[in-house]
Amino acid sequence: MTVPVMNPADTRQHATFTALMWALSYPGRATRLPVAGPDALTLIGETLVDLETSFFTPDAMLTARLSHTGGRSLPADSASYQFYPRLSRSDLDLLASAPVGTHVAPDLGATIVIGCALGWDTRLRLRGPGIAGTREILIAGLPDAFWSLRAATARAPLGWDIFLVTDNAVLGLPRTTAVEVLSWPM
Amino acid sequence: MTLADLAHPRQDYSYGFLDAFARRELRRRILKAIAIPGYQVPYASRELPIARGWGTGGLQATLSVVGPQDVVKVIDQGADDSVNAANLRRFIARMTGVETTTDTTKATIIQSRHRIPEERMDKGQLLVLQVPDPEPLRHVQPDSSQAREMHADADYAQMWLSLYEQLVRFGRFMQGASYPVIVNGRYLMSPSPIPRWDTPALHQSAHLTILSAGREKRLYAVPPYTDVRPIEFSDVFFQVEDQAGRVCTLTGAGQKYMDELPQPSGESRFRISDTGYVEKLLKMAQGESTKIGPTYYDDAGQFWMPGVIK
Repeated sequence: MTVPVMNPADTRQHATFTALMWALSYPGRATRLPVAGPDALTLIGETLVDLETSFFTPDAMLTARLSHTGGRSLPADSASYQFYPRLSRSDLDLLASAPVGTHVAPDLGATIVIGCALGWDTRLRLRGPGIAGTREILIAGLPDAFWSLRAATARAPLGWDIFLVTDNAVLGLPRTTAVEVLSWPM
Repeated sequence: MTLADLAHPRQDYSYGFLDAFARRELRRRILKAIAIPGYQVPYASRELPIARGWGTGGLQATLSVVGPQDVVKVIDQGADDSVNAANLRRFIARMTGVETTTDTTKATIIQSRHRIPEERMDKGQLLVLQVPDPEPLRHVQPDSSQAREMHADADYAQMWLSLYEQLVRFGRFMQGASYPVIVNGRYLMSPSPIPRWDTPALHQSAHLTILSAGREKRLYAVPPYTDVRPIEFSDVFFQVEDQAGRVCTLTGAGQKYMDELPQPSGESRFRISDTGYVEKLLKMAQGESTKIGPTYYDDAGQFWMPGVIK
């Protein structure tokens, strides 16, 4: 018997999942996705979403792409996997309704994938599981109100698990990570 | 050009045995488990060519994570060469073509039944523990729906009561393996039947731990750098098994977790349970070059991180 080999989809999805797993294990530390740009969100969708689960995205093009996974397209208040290629202020109202899970089943909290930029603008200090002490990161392209919304919603063990995607890098922000918005200068 | 040129080569099995749906489901659950440290995430445990109860949970977790670049080590009670470990390792290798090893420091994924290696695991390494009984509350609450509510309420009073009862009846904590721990100050978790000796290794560890129970269809995780505290009283502390005075018959080393080998005379001899570590000690004794990583316990029996064992 020959050893099975990965087909191209397996290879892509394995690399993506590995990046997501380590990004969530070490929050704030960027890991590399196999593709860059808008394709990265599609690839994360392809890796996690299938006909057993549901997705939401305000982006029409991405909706069309994600529907190939077989996942159900549901509104933001009930979809398990949500994709925001760009998070505008108006999207925050949608995001605010995303499920956070229940105390009996906190794993029903949504996974949120957001496109942003790294390395400038908002300075954040992260603390929690996966971080030895604290870690500081710089994030751009997210509305300021996003962080207060997350703080109000993510009350571990309830909350959202967030992946911030920029180019071909992904950064994990599980619900257990406490985020402190720092002021400039450093 | 023929049709065969255009098609993928025929394969009898998917990469890693599991089909794409099974793998995707497990991956989703693993991510949720990492996000909620210590919380038991339910999953659809698939059929495998080994029976439930023989490591199918750990095997499914390993198969959904493993890739061609990984190096896999499988141990059973510390031994790389026991039947269960050898069979699981051969199956993983046959289904993925990964390199296998007995060296803890070289492995990227270590699947284990009931032990954590003596050498310290590092950043980026993954420990997969096979779990027979994921529910630490089962002794005090046999109804799993009720137990789930107790987890939701963080109502662990009955565990403290049973701990107190042990103390009153026997003068010490009686729980040996599977000593319950509180993860990240929130969820009570069974660390799988690892001896108490290994429990502190999960606290603020650099590696990721995934615990998976195939028969019980639950999966949970301890992310790196997460507090894992064994339950104890503020005046009566959790203790690890005392290995003082035990000397390994193969290597002459002490202060590691030992297997007891009863002798016909009624006495006992001891052997270090971690065979990968023994292999390295023997190589070193024979003058061969080998790299032994730092261990969780030093030669004086002190745990590497001060203050964890009181």
